[in-house]
Amino acid sequence: MVAPIEPPPLASVSPMRRTAPQRSWLHAMLDVPELPPGLGLLAVVLFFSLQTNHFWSPQTMTAISTISSTIAIVAVGVTMLMISGEFDLSVGQNFAFTPIIWAILFVSNGLNEWLSLIVALVCAVCVGVVNGLVTTMFGIPSFIATLGMFFVLEGLNNLLISGHQLIMFEPSSAMAALGGRIGHSPFYMPLFWMAVIATGFWFVLTRLRYGNWTLATGGQRGAAKAMGVPTERIKRLNFALSGLFGGLAGCMQFAYIRGVTQGQGQNYELLAITAAVLGGTSLFGGSGTIWGSVIGAFLLATIQIGLVLIGVPGSFYVTFIGVMLVIVVIANVRLGRFGRFQR
Amino acid sequence: MSAALSGTDVSANVVDRSGEPVFELHDVSHCYGRNPVIFGVSLAVWPGEVVALVGDNGAGKSTLLKIFAGYLQPTAGTLRFLGRDVRFRGPSEARAAGIEAVYQDLAMIDQLSLWRNFFLGKERVRRIGPLRLLEREQMRREATGALAELGLTRIRSADEAVATLSGGERQSVAITRAMHFGAKLLLLDEPTAALSVRETRNVLTSISRARGLGLGILYIDHNMGHVLPVADRIVLLELGRVVRVMERGEVGVEELKDLIDTRGDQFGK
Repeated sequence: MVAPIEPPPLASVSPMRRTAPQRSWLHAMLDVPELPPGLGLLAVVLFFSLQTNHFWSPQTMTAISTISSTIAIVAVGVTMLMISGEFDLSVGQNFAFTPIIWAILFVSNGLNEWLSLIVALVCAVCVGVVNGLVTTMFGIPSFIATLGMFFVLEGLNNLLISGHQLIMFEPSSAMAALGGRIGHSPFYMPLFWMAVIATGFWFVLTRLRYGNWTLATGGQRGAAKAMGVPTERIKRLNFALSGLFGGLAGCMQFAYIRGVTQGQGQNYELLAITAAVLGGTSLFGGSGTIWGSVIGAFLLATIQIGLVLIGVPGSFYVTFIGVMLVIVVIANVRLGRFGRFQR
Repeated sequence: MSAALSGTDVSANVVDRSGEPVFELHDVSHCYGRNPVIFGVSLAVWPGEVVALVGDNGAGKSTLLKIFAGYLQPTAGTLRFLGRDVRFRGPSEARAAGIEAVYQDLAMIDQLSLWRNFFLGKERVRRIGPLRLLEREQMRREATGALAELGLTRIRSADEAVATLSGGERQSVAITRAMHFGAKLLLLDEPTAALSVRETRNVLTSISRARGLGLGILYIDHNMGHVLPVADRIVLLELGRVVRVMERGEVGVEELKDLIDTRGDQFGK
């Protein structure tokens, strides 16, 4: 037997680890999936707090909390889908498509605002269902199926509002419920809904059979299927969730801004995936957490707003995000964090 | 090898085939698309019997096993489970009826803890409206108990990752899981592939235990030295047909190897 030259990766099985229950503090820390991104967020917040006096101003809080909340809501659906082993590149276009439908029905055609919201959200779910059916029935990569949907929706969005902006001036109960201010605080309703949805899906993922089946489907699809898990149905349902939350978050953005253009949600599909990956969700399926993705979304928004506050040109932040994403994934692979498991 | 495996010899028991078989295939055929792979196979497994499926690659062993498991539906022929005609639409229906399969590479999911693996597809749940809430504590307790019985002392808790288990331990856990859920028929797809001698012995002991509890067992293995000590009957498959059925003691290891090789040669393999 020749001794291995390189030490085995940390995630692999070693006899030492079996017999020695004590593990290093680093490993114990990495067992809490939300801790590394959480510490990252803390560091970023500290950095900007020290760099600028405006960081804790109500305006900054409003901007960061609202931007991160809409990204986080999209990311909840995307995370569930990624854990089950698929991607959705169409959520960003859905983020514009759904509020455009809503606005056309209720602003332009005077339909009841709640009814038109429901119709719009049904459309959002349908987009996800179509993604799911195309992916599972024809067995093609979801990357392609949802890229196709991305272009389909982009074209529809162009067709529906052709470069104009739909604006809502009058006060409305649905708009207030989705995007209004929470009392006299600097926070808006998207933050509230994000907390509700994230808590709900943390529960779904860790405490319900559906969550167990989602993890199993993305972890080892053949094994899950052999144990009787309806893996295709699980995937289709997660596609539907991804569609729903992409559309719902778009409606919240519309309600908050009181206007929607076809460009709303540009890059959101990639930001949602980035938030999920920064939060520790595996690109290969089978592991990830909802709160990790929420923290990832807060990281993105904090960096975006923070860089503007310290005088960096507004659109430069994506460069920063790109570098950070690659570094985080390298660190995850090196530390074997993609080998984590659900207790 | 045979000395190392001698502890697993179960030849003292004789299978009673007077009653109803656990599972019976009658004239079953299967095609993958337009490609026929199983041709009119009839095969029965009785309670407390270990039936080994042997044959060259492409003989149709795995396809047949998947038909037993409900994973594939036969394109012709009938299935009888405990004396009733059945047609399973998927593995979950077969599992519900009492058929548990353990596949070589598909026994466990690394991303789930032991208890989640143990109960996958048969989770203990509390229904709250449309929600199915996992009974986590109950499942942890049950899994810990069943694993302790198995004698996997290294496992400290059912909360552990299955990534720390060896190949043999995974197979043993999967077999234990099958028995825990009251399986009537156990299907094993190469349970000893790539295992050490000691691990193989443990797995074969698990198989004998299941046999002693009256389970019917259908078993695929490429290693004839593992097949002979545990199998009550050996079924030789070739290009999708049953070509010979051998009782325990009818053939030796070398003879069996020759049988698979030479018959394969006739077809120019």
